[in-house]
Amino acid sequence: MISVISSEWYKLRKSKVLLLLLVAPLVGLFIGMSSSLGDIGAINPWYEKLVMMNFTYAVLFLPLISGVLASVICRYEHQKGGWKQLLALPVTRGKVFLSKYVLLLLLIFVMQLLYLVSIYLVGMIGGITEPFPMDIVWKTIVGGWMATFPLIALQLWVSIAFKSFAAPFAINVIFTLPTILVINSERFGPYYPWGQPFLMMNIGGSAEDFFFVPWDQILMVVGGSFLLFFIGGYLYFQRKAI
Amino acid sequence: MEYIVETKNLTKSFGKEKAVSNLEMKIPKGEIYGFLGPNGAGKTTTIRMLLGLMRPTSGSVQLFGKDMKNNRIDILKNVGSLVENPSYYPHLTAKENLEASRKILHAPKERIDEVLKLVRLHGVRNKKVKGFSLGMKQRLGIAAAMLHQPELLILDEPTNGLDPSGIIEMRELIQSLPKEYGMTVLISSHLLSEIDQMATRVGVVTKGKMIFQDSIETMRKIAQASIQIKVNDNEAAWRSMLANGQKADLGEEHINLQVEDDEQVAASIDYLVQQGFSIYRVQEETRSLENIFLEMTKEEHAE
Ligand SMILES: Nc1ncnc2c1ncn2[C@@H]1O[C@H](COP(=O)(O)OP(=O)(O)OP(=O)(O)O)[C@@H](O)[C@H]1O
Ligand SMILES: [Mg+2]
Repeated sequence: MISVISSEWYKLRKSKVLLLLLVAPLVGLFIGMSSSLGDIGAINPWYEKLVMMNFTYAVLFLPLISGVLASVICRYEHQKGGWKQLLALPVTRGKVFLSKYVLLLLLIFVMQLLYLVSIYLVGMIGGITEPFPMDIVWKTIVGGWMATFPLIALQLWVSIAFKSFAAPFAINVIFTLPTILVINSERFGPYYPWGQPFLMMNIGGSAEDFFFVPWDQILMVVGGSFLLFFIGGYLYFQRKAI
Repeated sequence: MEYIVETKNLTKSFGKEKAVSNLEMKIPKGEIYGFLGPNGAGKTTTIRMLLGLMRPTSGSVQLFGKDMKNNRIDILKNVGSLVENPSYYPHLTAKENLEASRKILHAPKERIDEVLKLVRLHGVRNKKVKGFSLGMKQRLGIAAAMLHQPELLILDEPTNGLDPSGIIEMRELIQSLPKEYGMTVLISSHLLSEIDQMATRVGVVTKGKMIFQDSIETMRKIAQASIQIKVNDNEAAWRSMLANGQKADLGEEHINLQVEDDEQVAASIDYLVQQGFSIYRVQEETRSLENIFLEMTKEEHAE
């Protein structure tokens, strides 16, 4: 298993796509820098920055870039017969699927950490003197990360199924864009998997909940869609004729 | 006999069409098995099933005496393969391509340089594969297949895209494998001439069916000269010979004798003379292996 992940990582790190990891944190940085302080009257200037930055980052860029990474990690296999080469090696398809998935999770975690750095930089450059609210920020970082679990699973599934880059990307966009509308709906927002990264990074959400959303919502929506997409993709890959 | 590859009733259907039909492939240890058939005969489909890349519709695959269904990983540890067009990661160099596989195969690092030298790619090992010619990619594929010194090497049309000197090198390399490493090799092709100098066994497949499977010597025997005899009444002569227990076929213009040696030819002619037939012509027809192969695959077409 470790050897499969290390092989996957090897293929990936020799390409330039890792620069993709920088896109979303840089967008966050840019938004944080360009917004001026003091227009929403939050208790703490850090919070204000967080609210601004998290919105664009979590609604759009985090899900979109995650999906693109999932396609990238399958692209090399689709390109020049990589699947048959890889799967004729002594490795189970289950391990290949899991390795790709785990590597994606790690990459997205790195992206979240870079975003954390962005937040910090925004504060430093913006001259915020209050202490960095790590107790809140780490929750948004980890929460947002967990919320991408099901989205990555679906994107991995679709990326394995389609040779073209366009199909997974279209699906990615089709589900991500409506998030802007759906999260404003009290009724549907909590149940929309693509809305969860935002909701779990929304420090303005319910303060009494650990990850800003109720645990049962995390379990049901994030956990449920994760199981559905992960098992679906896993089984699909097992059966796929190469 | 110990078979390295043995398929039983192997069948693969795509919709209604059977791409592979009740195939019984048997490859003894240490043989170089030429897997021959025209385009679309089902060679690649068979190979895909041998490697567990595709599930058979019915029938079974056994490699090293183990069933593919339940021992896939175990089996594949000892199999190297090149399926159809060479597979590679274009953004990696030749060396890096092998490294990506090596990590999974747990082969020693030195093997990379060894196999690169074996296929004469050592000089370009640090070049990105996307700039390689087809033949170079093909060599890289063969290098990858041999990385872990497998006991069974499965090569699907490995000479595709190679220049004549490349084909000769490849032939020499493949020929040396059973002797030096005790490897068994399965090599597919649609040209008999490409493999007849190295194969020790041949399997001929058309339309998914195995129509010939035996040693290359047996195939050569079939290709051996047949004697054509033309007499005043071909049909009567032919009947008379059959009645006398001789093997003969009636052609349009002449009788074809399948003979083992010269004495037999003499005896047959003697017999015909005694029976009072006038012999107009006796001629030898040699058929090339390629012709035999073409004929075999054509007969099947006619059905
Ligand atoms: N994935 C697939 N779906 C549908 N039909 C297929 C598929 N793969 C192969 N076939 C069909 O199966 C038959 C055998 O194909 P196969 O590729 O095994 O032939 P081949 O002997 O390798 O030919 P070639 O010499 O051209 O490589 C063909 O008729 C082909 O159209
Ligand atoms: Mg083929």
